[in-house]
Amino acid sequence: MPLRFAVVCSSNQNRSMEAHNFMSKRGLLVRSYGSGQQVKLPGPSLEKPNVYTFDTPYEFMYKDLYNKDASLYTQNGVLHMLDRNRRIKEKPERFQDSRERFDVIFTVEERIFDQVMEDLENRDKRTNEIVHVINIDVIDNPEDATLGAFMLCELGQKMEATNDLDNAIDEILTEFELKTKRTVLHAVSFY
Amino acid sequence: MSENIQETIVELINQAQLYGKDSVRVQHLRHVQELILRKDPSLLDNFLEEVLCFQTDKSPEVRKTIISFIEEACQHDPEVIVKVIDSLRLLLYDDNVLVQKRLTVSMITIYRLTLKWLSKSRLVDENVRSMWESMVNMKIHIIAMLDSDNDGLRTVAIKFIEMLALVLSRRTSDSIVPTFNEQDFSLNLLQDDHRILRRNKLEQEGKDVMEKLLEFTLSQHLSSVNLIAAMGAIANIARQRPDYMSRVVQTFEALQVNLPPTLVDSQVSSVRKIIKLKLLSLLKHPASFDFQPQITTLLTDLGATQAEVLKHLPKAPAESKRKITL
Repeated sequence: MPLRFAVVCSSNQNRSMEAHNFMSKRGLLVRSYGSGQQVKLPGPSLEKPNVYTFDTPYEFMYKDLYNKDASLYTQNGVLHMLDRNRRIKEKPERFQDSRERFDVIFTVEERIFDQVMEDLENRDKRTNEIVHVINIDVIDNPEDATLGAFMLCELGQKMEATNDLDNAIDEILTEFELKTKRTVLHAVSFY
Repeated sequence: MSENIQETIVELINQAQLYGKDSVRVQHLRHVQELILRKDPSLLDNFLEEVLCFQTDKSPEVRKTIISFIEEACQHDPEVIVKVIDSLRLLLYDDNVLVQKRLTVSMITIYRLTLKWLSKSRLVDENVRSMWESMVNMKIHIIAMLDSDNDGLRTVAIKFIEMLALVLSRRTSDSIVPTFNEQDFSLNLLQDDHRILRRNKLEQEGKDVMEKLLEFTLSQHLSSVNLIAAMGAIANIARQRPDYMSRVVQTFEALQVNLPPTLVDSQVSSVRKIIKLKLLSLLKHPASFDFQPQITTLLTDLGATQAEVLKHLPKAPAESKRKITL
């Protein structure tokens, strides 16, 4: 059976959606989430982000920002990103509200790794199935999101190719750290 | 209605027996599981044997699906355990490690259910005795998996031992038991004069496995995943069996200064994060009141802020004397 992957970023817009796109195009079974309280997108200034609830469709956000300032949000790439996102799924999803089960959960920031671990620990334990939670830092901008998606996809493909992930994962991650010179956080939790 | 379901089940089983893609055969068997166990459980008796035939299927995925079926069937009716015990034993000794692992995960639920069912059961005939003997042997085999060469098998063995330590001990008034586990077996539920289960013996066994788990947690050659699983297990046990709080806090203290030398830097960071998470969960427990100074010192060493510590302090101190809840 194929492994079930999740990618979690803060708002389920840039880093997790780029990885979602990349990984699913390469045949991996993947879902994406945000772990923040709300969905935040860049606004006219740093102090004025555009804030939406998690149940707002990407389509709505696209039209909303297009009407607000089509030129600004075209120039900073937000409309392009939302256009990509609306083709992948209807709306952002919050990790803490989902009860889907995964074999591997990728996070893209230490803070998000902590939130995911804490959330998993506080859930009722029902099946005792193991889930690997892996953090690789990815900066929240379009270029780094693409680079991050590529790395996560490569890692995912290596994991998919093994017969026994639990036994091979240490080796896969050590090799990845050596190759990319990046630090990986890795913990496990149980459903 | 029931006849229609029966026909569908027969058709699905026939299709699953035919040569085809394993994923499709697994789908058929899952559908059978759903129809029998969620739509019409009265059909379980009719089809159990047919479904169990797949335990020797060439595909590990099919065998794993059968394990899931057996687990759900036992949850539905624990008397089924007597009928499936040979299948469980066969699948525990399967050639494929993924099947062994899946079976061990299911045994966490099935062993716990068996104890609960046996503790209430008045009928203890030869079949039941023989089933329990097999169950005991399987338990010994799973505990020995702690020394397996396979990291994943060791991890599931840790989870199995966590369950054993919980069911083979008594709940106390300050046990914090997750809602989902409220109906689980504990030694409080066992009558003194049970024909097979001896309370003192089981209680001692519970203490022995806990000792083994604590020792394992401090061993110097652990993988980071095993260590994280073991830390999670002992913290869960301390929350549900606060009599172990002192030993568990001591184990975290010992761990903090003496992590396995085989861990690489990033694994040390991950492990330290989990120690912090687990200690905060213990700090929240009223029974850790007497150990607050040690836990707080450990947390400060791990980089916890004062605000974080304060947020996790329990509201009122634990009662000095605990009562056993029956």
